[in-house]
Amino acid sequence: MASLIACPHCGPRPKEEFTVRGDAGITRPAPDAGEDAWYAYVYLRDNPRGRHKEHWHHTSGCRRWLVVERDTMTHAIYKVTDASAPGETA
Amino acid sequence: MADFALLHRPALAIAKSGSFGAPSTGKRITLTALPEGHVLHVLAARGGGDLTGLIPRIGDGSAHAVRPYGPGQWFVIGDASLSAAEIFGKTPVLDGKASISDQGQGRVRIGISGAAVEAVLAKGTAVDLALSNFPVGHSAMTLVGHISALISRTGAENFELLVLRGFAESLWDELIQMGLEFGVDAKTAR
Repeated sequence: MASLIACPHCGPRPKEEFTVRGDAGITRPAPDAGEDAWYAYVYLRDNPRGRHKEHWHHTSGCRRWLVVERDTMTHAIYKVTDASAPGETA
Repeated sequence: MADFALLHRPALAIAKSGSFGAPSTGKRITLTALPEGHVLHVLAARGGGDLTGLIPRIGDGSAHAVRPYGPGQWFVIGDASLSAAEIFGKTPVLDGKASISDQGQGRVRIGISGAAVEAVLAKGTAVDLALSNFPVGHSAMTLVGHISALISRTGAENFELLVLRGFAESLWDELIQMGLEFGVDAKTAR
């Protein structure tokens, strides 16, 4: 797991300060989308190898939600942005 | 209105005090339980714009009264305790662009100083505390060990930690441990 996350507000911080929510790419289905769509949204996740976008919460720092783009294989971090930035939240 | 008056007890009144660790290294660490005056959490409203000029008007005008905590969030701190009416009286200054939450009995301040203060705090946090990177007046919310605290620099060799009240004594004990190699003088008297 990547060990240093460059928070756009706080600077580089260790991963222990963060909480990972998971995939930032999934969209919440409509309330009447049906059981299969909701089951997939709540329970089913891919386990990607390579570049991946995730929601991370800076729990012990600025308490902002961030979108971290990282490589699950090399642990490289490509980009960290605030989740409230335009176009960041699915 | 409250049905009965709450009795306020300082969080660190019964914490360890005295001298600990190495007898004399010339780099002794001083730990001080600071007055539990007021701690106001100021939160910006959405779209309120840049409030950096406005926030100091909430404070008592002392140096380091305003401590930035995250985007649109500040702690405003002072030694005087304020009544609910006095805190409410400050809200017109913000003109609806931010709101105030009284954290006075929720968070306490610990002062830590000494020639080796950066080395001691570096045992608990990953934040780069070098004076060039973390100048006087700078603040950072981070973990000290496993305890969340706001670290603020108030002088070249002086820092203050703002910590949740329930964790204050635990952090106090850890800071004593972290400073043992330099020697620690812990002062809870106020």
